[in-house]
Amino acid sequence: MQKKLLLSLFAFTSLMANSETEALKEQLQSQQETTQKLLSRVEMLEAQQQSSTNTSASFSQNAYLPDIAMILNMSAVYRDVKNSDYANYQVPGFVNNDLTTDDDNAELPFNANRGFNLNYAEFAVHSVVDPYFEAFAYLHMHPSELEVDEAFVTTTSLPAGLRIKAGKFKSAFGRLNEKHQHSWSFDEQALIYKSLFGPDAISDAGVQLQWVAPTDTYIMAGVEAFQGTNDMSFGYEDPNLFVGYLKSSVDIGDDLSILGGVSAAHGKTVTKENSNIYGVDLTMREQLGSYSALVWQSEYLQRDKDVNASRDSQAGLYTQIVYQYNNNYSTGIRYDRITKNEIDLSSYAGINTDNLERYTAMVEYKPFPMSRLRLNYSHDRSKIIDGARQDINTVMLTLNIAAGAHGAHSY
Amino acid sequence: MKKIVLITLVLTTALFASLKVDTTYSTLGAITKKVGGDLVSVTVLGSSKYDPHFIVPKPSLLSKLRRADLLIMNGGGLELGWLPPLIQNAHNRNIQNGAKGFLDISHSINMIDKPVAVSRAFGDVHAQGNPHYSTDPHLVPIIAKAIAEKLMQLDEENADVYQKNLDTFTQKWQEYLKGYDAELRSCKGKKVVQYHELYNYFLKRYGIESIGNIEPLPGIAPSSKHTLELLMKMKRNGVKTILQDVYHEKRTAKFIAQKVDAKVVVIPHDVGSVKGSETLEDFYNMIANRICK
Ligand SMILES: [Zn+2]
Repeated sequence: MQKKLLLSLFAFTSLMANSETEALKEQLQSQQETTQKLLSRVEMLEAQQQSSTNTSASFSQNAYLPDIAMILNMSAVYRDVKNSDYANYQVPGFVNNDLTTDDDNAELPFNANRGFNLNYAEFAVHSVVDPYFEAFAYLHMHPSELEVDEAFVTTTSLPAGLRIKAGKFKSAFGRLNEKHQHSWSFDEQALIYKSLFGPDAISDAGVQLQWVAPTDTYIMAGVEAFQGTNDMSFGYEDPNLFVGYLKSSVDIGDDLSILGGVSAAHGKTVTKENSNIYGVDLTMREQLGSYSALVWQSEYLQRDKDVNASRDSQAGLYTQIVYQYNNNYSTGIRYDRITKNEIDLSSYAGINTDNLERYTAMVEYKPFPMSRLRLNYSHDRSKIIDGARQDINTVMLTLNIAAGAHGAHSY
Repeated sequence: MKKIVLITLVLTTALFASLKVDTTYSTLGAITKKVGGDLVSVTVLGSSKYDPHFIVPKPSLLSKLRRADLLIMNGGGLELGWLPPLIQNAHNRNIQNGAKGFLDISHSINMIDKPVAVSRAFGDVHAQGNPHYSTDPHLVPIIAKAIAEKLMQLDEENADVYQKNLDTFTQKWQEYLKGYDAELRSCKGKKVVQYHELYNYFLKRYGIESIGNIEPLPGIAPSSKHTLELLMKMKRNGVKTILQDVYHEKRTAKFIAQKVDAKVVVIPHDVGSVKGSETLEDFYNMIANRICK
């Protein structure tokens, strides 16, 4: 085939060799180019033919493989507190690592060590199951354990804007609860979330029903029922946790969007007493260009928890501003504060337990959408260590990698 | 009086706009309007002033998807970074992948620039080939046909109308293309550079040669090393035109233009990206005028 083309080209060339015009030469040039293109096309087709004859294994199911992404999160940390002291910190009225034996409190899974940390390798798996279900799993491999962070199915074919989710999953309570650690804007968990729920927030076995209203304005309502195993706020042995929320969003012009929500959670504590949590959140996002935006996000959470027939009332908030300068750089600041701590603090007699707060700042660099380097600094004034109030300064450089299936960007 | 007009307006809209169609981008929206006429109401999800790869998944898009009877997407991986979670959270069974109200136009297009090897070591490459096909006016009738067929399937009662709309539109478009192609003949062989490979379908169609990109790899910001290489290449090839899109930074293009005495032309990538490109004809005319003149 190649030979024939070359031969005809040669014949063509010799025939025309004697004629004098430049135009013909030009024609010839283009003819040669066409031939060259044809030749490479022939080669390509031949190559394709060959490869297509032996790829289909009789029982190959590769086309049905789920989307898989691997997320690695690691850090180098400087903290002006020894690791052994940090592991025993307390947030008065909320976190008491010294006294409790339960796992939720004792857990310090992210960036716990001064020095180097491999926080986790996460495997995120997603697949369409059939015309009715989609399945998701997020597996966290910590250095010494495997944790099912989430594993759930969602329906895709319910009518009337309804969707059911079932399995182990993060509640859509508030704004932050549903987000995975690597999609937080700062590497440390918001203080009030950490204080009320611990590192995993409300993440439990249960079922969720969500409804999106058929309106011009986005309105979404959801109810959830969980086992309620998180004993920092709940923890009764039987299913005890019910969550509900309402979210809405409006756009002002093309570039400003506002998302707000109210949430409530009702559960029972280990001693079967009421524990109610309420939250409001507000996010405003001004898009300054394709890769540039200013996002202001705030959230307030309050817990009323009955302990031995008396009511503990506690609350806190965070507010943060993140400025995304371009596709490579962004920066942000956050302020965390415990605003209410009406609880028996007599065990802290003589220690100042007011003004529990934290200041955080970060700069991040993304060489590519799949990788992120972040420098995170926090000045934490919310901790008690060894019976004394102690401010903690932490500087950490974290690296987050998302390889494999393309994770979509969230709002 | 005003009220009556408004009420009749609302009523007529409700009466005649039987199908709600969402398109991911504006060019698809404009073609859908041609084929659907008064029988459809079209909502475009992604603003044409932004990078089509990175549309911000605003919650308001969820309420648009929630009520759609049909979702028309570009496909070829262009929506990969923003559309999937919106579909998951809009809770609309009509527009799920594989449902009757889901249309991926890339399935009707002969995709070019299919990579031989796919790895993110080469940047954020389009694994399924170049998805930026909407700059080629010759693909418009193919897209229109795919949309018309889907509309006929969804709204059988009005199949005749869609067919008639399609025929009328296609005929007019072929007429338009004759003049268009004739004008562009003079441009054959011209050499250009572009930021991202956004205009390859147009360039290929009209024999214009793209000799390089400002981004060193797809999705990676310009580096000085790459920019210098590009400068040399442009000098060697005598390139005098830099195709700039509306959403990337323009500093690099301006810097290069100054060094090699070239000019930067802003080319719309979708209908309405640039002021004066709000109709299909204006959009394609602007591409031709700005690249060719
Ligand atoms: Zn692209």
